[in-house]
Amino acid sequence: MATEATAAAPAVPGEGGRRSRRVQDALATYGLTAPALALLLVFFLFPIYYIVRYSLGLEHFAVTEAAAEITGEFTQLTTQLWSEFLTVGVDVQILGKDNVSFHLPTWAIGIIFVALVVGAVAGRRLSERWGGWIQGGSIVLLLVPFMTIPAGNNLLRFAELSSGGDFLRLFFRSVTMATTSAIWAVIIAFPIAYFLAFGIKKSKYTWLLIVIAPFLTSYLLRIFAWKIILGDQGLINSALFELGLRDPDNPLSFLIYSQFTVILVLLYAWVPFIVLPIFIALESIDRRLLEAATDLGASRLKALAKVTLPIAAPGIIAAFLFVFIPSIGEYITPSLVGGNNGYMFGQAIASQFVGGALDWQTGSVLSVFLLGVVLFLTLATSKFLRQGGGATS
Amino acid sequence: MDVNRKMSRRGFVALTGAASLSALLAACGGGGGEAAEPAAPAEPAEPAEPAPAEPAPAEPAPAESPPAETGEAASPALAEGPTFDPASEPDGPVTFFEWAGYDDTAPWMWKTYTSGEYAKSSPLKFEFLENDIQALAKVASGYSPDVIHPCIAYWPDFQAAGLIQPWDKALLPDYEGIPEAIRGPGVSDDGLIYHVPFDIGFSSLVYRADKIPITPEEESWSLLLDPAYEGKLATYSDPVTIIKIGALINAGEPIDPNKLDSDQIAAAKETMIKAKPQIRNFWSGNQDNINDFINGNVWATYMWPDGYLQALRHEKLQGVDVRYMWPKEGRLAWVCGFVLHANTERPGRATLAIAAANTPQAAASLTDVFAYGSAQQAGVTDLIKDKELISIFSLDDPSAFAPPRAWFEQPLPNRQEYSEAGEAVKAA
Repeated sequence: MATEATAAAPAVPGEGGRRSRRVQDALATYGLTAPALALLLVFFLFPIYYIVRYSLGLEHFAVTEAAAEITGEFTQLTTQLWSEFLTVGVDVQILGKDNVSFHLPTWAIGIIFVALVVGAVAGRRLSERWGGWIQGGSIVLLLVPFMTIPAGNNLLRFAELSSGGDFLRLFFRSVTMATTSAIWAVIIAFPIAYFLAFGIKKSKYTWLLIVIAPFLTSYLLRIFAWKIILGDQGLINSALFELGLRDPDNPLSFLIYSQFTVILVLLYAWVPFIVLPIFIALESIDRRLLEAATDLGASRLKALAKVTLPIAAPGIIAAFLFVFIPSIGEYITPSLVGGNNGYMFGQAIASQFVGGALDWQTGSVLSVFLLGVVLFLTLATSKFLRQGGGATS
Repeated sequence: MDVNRKMSRRGFVALTGAASLSALLAACGGGGGEAAEPAAPAEPAEPAEPAPAEPAPAEPAPAESPPAETGEAASPALAEGPTFDPASEPDGPVTFFEWAGYDDTAPWMWKTYTSGEYAKSSPLKFEFLENDIQALAKVASGYSPDVIHPCIAYWPDFQAAGLIQPWDKALLPDYEGIPEAIRGPGVSDDGLIYHVPFDIGFSSLVYRADKIPITPEEESWSLLLDPAYEGKLATYSDPVTIIKIGALINAGEPIDPNKLDSDQIAAAKETMIKAKPQIRNFWSGNQDNINDFINGNVWATYMWPDGYLQALRHEKLQGVDVRYMWPKEGRLAWVCGFVLHANTERPGRATLAIAAANTPQAAASLTDVFAYGSAQQAGVTDLIKDKELISIFSLDDPSAFAPPRAWFEQPLPNRQEYSEAGEAVKAA
């Protein structure tokens, strides 16, 4: 319509020309982004819109009322499941002190979580004087509970979630496992990317291709390969038996069907992927900055900490999110190698839809919750993703 | 023996269970006094209307027909079954929602249909289901295949939701070859045949006696609680099964795991949470589970007959005493079979197709290929080629499939309660 209008009315030459140019620009912009927007709409917004409606009982798939009872669907608006989920929460108990325990409802956990994330991301803007402390403190408070509470018996645990909200407990466990794999994946990928960017002069991209090569096989096949390697009679344990380091009746059993296994396999799966964004961030560093740092007397380590890392931060954070976001809702990896101890939130959701529980509405509530957390974290950290934003001080 | 290859395609097979049918089996096997009590009709899926001499609807109207009672309630009002005419039905495929492995890779199963007159005009098409729940959920949300293959515990759900209709008995010449005890629970109390059983089998723990030194007399589900086997056992992820096992452990003697009340379910849940340190994995993939056992990752695990046979015959386990446990509380057992979708356009041709699966020849092949028992039993033991299977799985001993030795699955009026408790065990 707009094109017809502009084509028909070049009455005032200068004005019309300018306008048609503007329209053309707009058309080009929107035209070019249209496929991406359509994709977003069809595969992202549309399903989310429906699952939200679904979780409220506004939508149901069952063909009859009786069928809805079987699939566990409501056929009218209800906020019952949401209010249940938001109030269930967890009981927190300080280890070794049975009398010190308190109940935290889900919404309170949510508020604390949002406050900490805001503090961690924007702490410095809140106060000139205390900003650094707020930021650091928030990050520590965010990481410590997640890293220690559900981490198992071997790590320091100052508190445990004793009862209540099974789903929420699973969620905490999943966040821990996802955070752990993401952090380790970045720690492992960074030296590889650094080596590719700075260590190699010739045929960088061949090396990059070699790093990504494992992706040429199916993920499932690779998981099964891990099972062969990690099993009680697997490669690692057999080698230990041969070397006499381990008694065949007493294999290293944490290797398979544990949280460790899930984290290891996720790590393995994602490291080659995230070498890419870190590599690109490192590649784009102006080498003269590093030379300047050296000329001004900075050691290589200091140059890495003060120049390279801050500039590469967007790539590193992107890499972290690349691992964290898909891992938190992981389903197939824990199903295959997680066993009883590695059971994750994503499996609980799947179980509501096609497993034994068959409660689609609860499944929808859990999915929307997961989505909300991931979206919030993505938005909160998005400023780090913009080149240079937040990275320089 | 190509069991291994075939089985891996099978994926998930049946859910577990127990039941009224087992009671009747006991009666058949001359079970005597004990059989009388469990032979009472199973709980209906919903409070059933009293069934007086009210004339049942002549036309099958699945959505409105009264909730099904399983078991052989003496109902005087027998409804007239439907009559299908395959010749007058439109051409087009007959679609199955079927377990992987029972599709066209198993031509022995469909032989009389694929060599019959509708093989070309109405070929069989298969979609795979993963488990009963998923099948029920998909069909309840609008997917409408012509035939679905759920286990017997689930057909009342399909029927209550108005999703299925009765079969035409006249087109099922071999139906009478299925023992009354097995086919009975698939019949509504007004005499309409909704579920035609095809495959049956046990579910129990398979263990290696070299690692778990117990005598057959000591066999019990309570093995799952033994801390000596921490991280060395596995069981099936189906939440209903988890609760049934917990209840059997709590009872310590044969009790019907289909008839648990809220307290028993709660107690079963607590017991299974206590068993979690021993349970390394709640498996969901049949073949993964079998591989874990063969590779020594677990020493005992819940298995269907195919898994036991694979373990028994696997080269890695030669010389190892692998046993299929007969717990003192009794094994669990399942029956699965065919139901007909209410909206099918080709009910007659669909019936001809399942009639093919019901022939004694197909039944014998079912045992030879998958090591499962067959619902069809007329002369089947003579047709089975691998005679060893008959003794391994007690296929010729009716008492093996009856209480107190085995608990067949059965429709559960309070299944949601079982499921929620079972899920809570996994999430705990």
